[in-house]
Parts: sequence; structure tokens; C-alpha cells
Amino acid sequence: MSPAKKSKLPHFLKRPGAVLSLVWLAFIVIGSLTAPLWVPFDFAQQNVGFELLTPNSQFLLGTDELGRDIFSRIMVAGAGTIVGATITVLVAFGIGLPAAFVSAQYGGKVEAFFSRFAEVIFALPGLVMILALVGAIGQEKMEPLMVFFGFLISPAVYRVLLGQIISIRQRLYVDAARLNGLSSIRINLRHILPGIWRTVLVQVALIFVAGIGIQAGLSFLGIGPQEPNPSWGAMILQASNLIYFSPWMMVPPGLILVLTVFAANELADVFGEGEAQNSGVKPFSFKDLKGRRRANLPVVEAAPKAANLLELKHLVVGVEGKHELVTDVSLAIRQGEVLGVVGESGCGKTMTALSVIGLLPPGVKVRSGSILLNGIDIADWNEQELNTVRGSEMAYISQEPMVALDPMFTVSHQLVYPLKRIRGLSKAAAKAEALELLRQVGIVNPERVLKSYPHQLSGGMAQRVAIALALTGNPRLLIADEPTTALDVTIQAEILDLLRALVQQRGMGLVIVTHNLGVVADIADQVAVMYAGQVIEAGPVADVLLNPAHPYTSALLGADPHFGADGVMPDRLASIPGAVPPAWEWTSSCRFAARCNFATEICKQPLQEKAAHQGGAVKCMRFGELTLTTTNHGKN
Amino acid sequence: MIRFIANRVAMALLTLFAAAVISFLIVHSMPGTPGENALGTSGDPASIRAFNEKVGWYDPLAVQFIDWVRMLLTGSLGVSYIDNRDLSIEIITRIQVTAYLSLAAIVLTAIIGVVVGVTAAVRGGVVDRILNSFTAFFIAVPPFWFAILLILFFAVFNPLLPASGYIDIVDDPVGWASSLVLPVVALAAHGGAAIARITRSAMLEAVAQEHIRTLRAMGVPRARIVYLHALRFASVQIVSVIGLQFVLTFGGTVTVEQLFQLPGLGTGVQRAIGMHDVPQIQATVMVTTVVVVITMFLTEMATRFLDPKVRTR
Repeated sequence: MSPAKKSKLPHFLKRPGAVLSLVWLAFIVIGSLTAPLWVPFDFAQQNVGFELLTPNSQFLLGTDELGRDIFSRIMVAGAGTIVGATITVLVAFGIGLPAAFVSAQYGGKVEAFFSRFAEVIFALPGLVMILALVGAIGQEKMEPLMVFFGFLISPAVYRVLLGQIISIRQRLYVDAARLNGLSSIRINLRHILPGIWRTVLVQVALIFVAGIGIQAGLSFLGIGPQEPNPSWGAMILQASNLIYFSPWMMVPPGLILVLTVFAANELADVFGEGEAQNSGVKPFSFKDLKGRRRANLPVVEAAPKAANLLELKHLVVGVEGKHELVTDVSLAIRQGEVLGVVGESGCGKTMTALSVIGLLPPGVKVRSGSILLNGIDIADWNEQELNTVRGSEMAYISQEPMVALDPMFTVSHQLVYPLKRIRGLSKAAAKAEALELLRQVGIVNPERVLKSYPHQLSGGMAQRVAIALALTGNPRLLIADEPTTALDVTIQAEILDLLRALVQQRGMGLVIVTHNLGVVADIADQVAVMYAGQVIEAGPVADVLLNPAHPYTSALLGADPHFGADGVMPDRLASIPGAVPPAWEWTSSCRFAARCNFATEICKQPLQEKAAHQGGAVKCMRFGELTLTTTNHGKN
Repeated sequence: MIRFIANRVAMALLTLFAAAVISFLIVHSMPGTPGENALGTSGDPASIRAFNEKVGWYDPLAVQFIDWVRMLLTGSLGVSYIDNRDLSIEIITRIQVTAYLSLAAIVLTAIIGVVVGVTAAVRGGVVDRILNSFTAFFIAVPPFWFAILLILFFAVFNPLLPASGYIDIVDDPVGWASSLVLPVVALAAHGGAAIARITRSAMLEAVAQEHIRTLRAMGVPRARIVYLHALRFASVQIVSVIGLQFVLTFGGTVTVEQLFQLPGLGTGVQRAIGMHDVPQIQATVMVTTVVVVITMFLTEMATRFLDPKVRTR
């Protein structure tokens, strides 16, 4: 979204932990590999009379029971550890990486074979197998053990990379590359390697850590470099034997080990995070569930108190610290009425709907204006306060029925709970009512559906269940965000019929958000046309659709193949050049002017609202001057 | 379901077979002959020869392998080369210690992991950051080093618990329990940190799900969303990681057993390696593989049971 592209390197440096980790690892790697050249003492030099010392100016980390300098020994020992861990990484990738590429390339039986093989190797008890190898080759040699460990851990590399490679290959550009006749090796080198480098780095770090860990464990068991040669694990073992005499001795080798593993893990984290960041939007978190009820909060009463069931007044919604998404929107809906909110994608209609039920995405907030539910302003209510009206006064139906229901629970479980909570029914009564609701939303065998899990339902069925769920609390206001978009065309009509019938039977108010003018014409009493965060025209459906007062509405009608074909708005309006401007470019003058055939100098002045239709409004500077019809516009 | 189980059993057999082949080959590349190892290289050549003859050392490898597998299939783990111990009894005695240790550790691991992970995810902010640093630290801490710290504080400075040794549960249940406290805590601190991190991310993933929004839109109270719906959604991932962690913990007991001088599988196999006791090494490999295979099977069954999408297929 943001126009300025961030470069990659500073991201690493932004996290102080990552920088420290990098510095530490560099110190350990370079320091230990060159240790013999610079450490203050020879690792085997025994200093009589200086045994078991704590740190001092001469022996930076103290001495062991033979008076040997612990600091020098640790640094020298590091080299073996680094080499061993590197061997593990090389072997694990040497096996895992090509196997993953081959599996992804050939698929089918080849992949099945490799994956089975990986599964078997992965299930072998690693440490015990390594110990068996120790039995064969003796206690002194660490390198062959690390090679073996690399083999045993290679399935981890294989699995992770295979998943990643397959998903990259599925992307279009690789297909295109294949069509262009690039050889498979070149495809792998040119397109796939750049896509997986982050994952590779994460895995390198993690396997490096595993290599260090297993070496420490083995040398703690007395395997690997033997006295007087040092190793981190053996130094810890040595310290454990002397714990009554010199507790200090366990600290240096342990801390070095912990810090090195910590640093490598931290780097893996940073690489991994970069990977996750590429995928965009901020998800909901537990923070969004917080809030405590204020004591003096007004109660939204059940009996109609205000003329309008819901009224939005000058609502402004925006991204925190950034641009607006909804600008000065005013809407009203009475009991028993259907309001259609219509517009292209990115015009703020969903944000408007979400603000009513208090489910704006993280970082998006109501900035000003009011949301009056039965006369009470709920715009600044927090999660806990909104829970007093959610379900009971208003309910929400989302676009994707298949993911709107909890996949882990049966339909019965999901319907019974709100019936008990909001309506105070007993469990048996709630069950009976749930069945009744399913019948009301047109489900033929409600008993079976009640016992089903969401994934066992079709899309249309799931949407009916979602509607039944919304009805459990007998709400007076229903907010439906594109309730039919994800469904088959035949099902769409059925769901609309159902919603219309429910509104009539129950006398509810319904706000239906849609990009489909056909839906509006079909079901709505009132319509609000939104463009670039504003309601640019509103009024009774018949008036607005038959006599549009705004060039945009008129263009929509001209562009809408419904008044010709199936009623779905195309992604781009063929009859109107250009696209909806992005939110950060919105101005206070007419936001449609750039695309409008009728724009003149006056359209650059601040936009004003004018009364139009019966009780409706229009935001067009040239309102009154233009004569618009649905047929003569935009034939160019 | 039956197909799934048949498939798993086939994979389990394949894994056992692989373990058998690899361990057999490794162990048979040991230096020296069984006779030399059992009787000493300075022993009487004739009796060394006789010993090797008896254990079938001069048979072709394939024949030895088949004989060995055949013996395993009769439910026997063989006898030690060194002192003729019945390894079935030896392994059963030792695996009890390791099992107590790793089962207690995995229970504590799961409790720590889930509580810390859920708290970090749900509380967020400073709490999350503090818990995250703790888990990052404990993941980096090898259990045997943390165990020494524990010994230092709870056995050396404050002699509350034994620093090493094992007491049989039959002899003295309290003594048994106290001999396991430090090793279990040492193992669980490391494992718990790993589970906590996964739990945290699983919970964050769960709360971002679309169906949580539906629940919020219905006014479902926060506690119910967090501890019923989000936790239930995360449970599949959490349980599967706990299963994997059990396998790792079972392996991790080797170092901890060594430190606390517990007579488990790990100390047993170490002794066997020192004495080139081929049958015991092989028996340990096979028994451990069985434990791993069973754990993975149970884990997979549990996650399948937890996920309605898979369960009701």
C-alpha cells in the first residue's frame, strides 16, 4: 500500500537483538577459528597454584582444577563446535535441498518416494542412533557423528523447502518461464532460489543451532575431543563434577553455549519475520478483544425510542496516523427498511458497515461522527460495551460463509450458545429453537444440519446457517456485507429472497452492502451510493436508480450489465475511464471529477451536499445543471 | 480411517526396519569381534573363537541380520555379550526410569508451555515481551546445563533435593518423587519454552480467523472466545507439537540421566557402548524406535481426532 518501498537491509538492523546476535556470532566464529593466534594462554597450559579461580585480571573467566585458563579453553573449543555445526548444515542441505528440488520438479511417484523416505528417517531416534555410531567408531571423533546427524535431520530441510518450492512453482511466472523454454535448472536458479532464500536462512540458523546443541550434549557425555583438548560440553561435565568446589566453573561454558544458540535463534526469528511481513494485512489480535464496561453507559433499549433504528452522522473512519477511509458519511435506516450501500471496491462501504458493529480492522478507527443505535451513540464503545448490543440488537452476516462459522464446533453448538446467552433459554428449549430457526432460513433437513460441522455444508447452506445464527438473538438490525458474493448465481437469488422474507416477517432493519446494483434494485428500499469514502448520492431506490442525480451513479447504471445481463459490477467500469483514486489521494473537492465527463472548473472547489430525491442527497457541484439518463452516458 | 491406520502401520514397520538395518550395520562395523570385546583381547584365542562361533559372528551378515530380526519377532531382545544378562529384563527395568522421567517431563512441559504461550498471546504487550525473552532464553539452554544450575541451588546451596541417584518407586515413593523433581524440571524448562512459542503463535493465528469475527459480532464474551474457541482452534497444532516434543524429551533424557546418575535407557546404552555390548546397543535402538513410532502414531491420531475436518471424513 505504502508508496515508498522499504529496502531489505535496514529491516535487519532495525532490531537491536538481531544486530547484537550478528556481532556475537561473528565474534564466536572468527574468534574461535583464530583462537590459537590470540588467546592469552595455551589451552593445555597448567598453572600450578592458580587452580579453580574465579575471574580476575589475569584469567578473564577464571581457571579450572588444573589451573588452565577457562577463557582460552572456551575460545579454542569453539572452533570444533562451529566446524561440527557447519558440517551438519552442509550435509542436511546437501541432501535436503536437491531432494526437495527433484521432488518438486518431477512430483508424483518421485515425490512420494522421497517424502516417504524422509518420513522414515525423521522417525528414527536421532541421539540413540548417533550413540550407536559412537559404539562403532569410538568416542574421539566428532565429525563423522555430525555428518550422520546432518543426514538424520535432512528431512526437516526437505519438508520445509519442498512446501515452499511447490508454492512458488505454482505461481504464474514460473509457468510462463517454462513456456518460454528455459531449462528446468535455469528456472530453479533464476526463479525459485530467490524465492526461498529467506526460508533457507531460517533453516540454516535452526540446523546450526541443532548441530551446536547435539554436540554439546555428546561432549557432555564424554564424546568428541578428549582431554586435554577442550569442548563446551566436556567443560560443563567437568564443572558438574566440581560443583561443590567451584560453582563458578559451570557459568562460562554454559553461557557461551546459551548465547550462541540464542543468537542463532534470534537470527532465524528475524529472517522468519521478514518472511511473514511480506504477506500484508495486520490481523486481529487479542488486544482487539479488550476493554472494560464503563459504569455510566446508557442502555440501548429494546423499545423503539428514536425515529431511526440506525443513524450515522458525519462518520469519519481512518487508518491511525494516516489517511481516511470513510469521509463524512451520514445514513439512516428505519425499522422494517432495507438500505442498500453500493459502490466499487475500495470505496469504503465495508468499512462503514464494520464500524457499526465495531469490527473495524486493527489500526482502523472511527475518528469523528456518531453511530446512533436506537438513539444511543455507540461510536466510542469498546468491545465489552458493544457486546451488550451485538447479537441482541444487531447482527452481522459476512461475505464468506464457509469461514464465518467455527470449524471446530457443530452447528448445534454454535446456535445453542447465543440462544442460551441472549434469550436465556434452557438447553433443550435452545435446541428446539435452533431447529426452528434452521427451518425458517429454509433448510430442509434441520436435524442433520444441526449435527453437522461447517465443512460438511455447502456455501449456500453455510450462509443460511450464518443467517440463522444472526437471528438467534432476535436483533432488530441486520448488517449484511456482500452476503451473496461468494455464492453461486442460483443460490444468490434464494438468499436474497430469504433476507427479504425475514425482514418482512420480523420487521427488522437490513443494511446490505453490495457492489451489485441488481441486488439493490431487488431488495432495497433506500440506497446510498458510495464513491471514494463518501456517500455521493442517497435516496429511495426507485428515484435514485431511475433518475440518478450524480454522474457516477448514472455511469454505474450505464456500466451495470444487470440492466442488460447478470447484474454483477465489473472490476473496472468500461464506460468510465480511470479507477477509484487510492484513499491517500482523496481531496476535499469532488473525488470523481477526474473521471467525470461533466467536470468543469467549479468541480475543483470544496464539495457540497445538496438535497435531492425525496429526503435524499447528492454530492455534485453541478447538480441541477445536468440532465442524466442511464442510457446516453459514456458511449465512448 | 482404516486405510489411514493401515498406512501408518506400514510406515511404522518401514521405520522399524530402517532402524534395524542401520543400527545393525553400524554396530557390526565396530572394531574387534564380540569374543574379543567380551573376553578381552588378551583372552584365550580358542575361547574367543568359540564365543564368536556361538553368537554367529562368522555367519554371513544377511544370515545374522535375519537371525536377529527373527529373535526380535519372538519378543526377545537377546542377551548381553558381556555378562549374559537377559536384555528384555534389563531394558524393561531401564525404560521404566526413562519413561517416568520423560512422561513427568512432558506433562510439566505441556502445562508450562500452554499456560505461558496462551498468557503471552492473550496478554500481549509487556507481558508478551517478557515471556518471550524467557522462552527464547530457555530454548537456548540445554537441559543438562540448567540441571546443574538446579542442583547448585536446590541441592548444594539449599539441600532440599537429592543431587543425584534414583530411588525405586516401590521402595520409597516420596524418595522416588524427589529424585525425579530436578531432572524433570530441567527437561520441562527447555521443552516448555518450545511449546510456549508454538502455542503463542497458534493462538495468534486462531484469533485472526474469520470465524472469531463472527463470534465477536454475536457478542460472545471475551473469555469464551479466548479459552474456548481460539484455544480449541489452536489445540490441533499444540497437541501435535507436544507429541513431537515428547520424542525430543525422550532423547534429551540421555544427558540428564547421566548427570543425575539415573539408571535409565540412556545410561544403559552409554555403558553398553563403552563395553562394545552389541546386543544391548541394538536392543536400545529398537526399543527407542518403537517408542518414537508409537508416540508419532498416537499424536497423529489425536490431531485427527481434534480436527473435525479430518475426523468426519
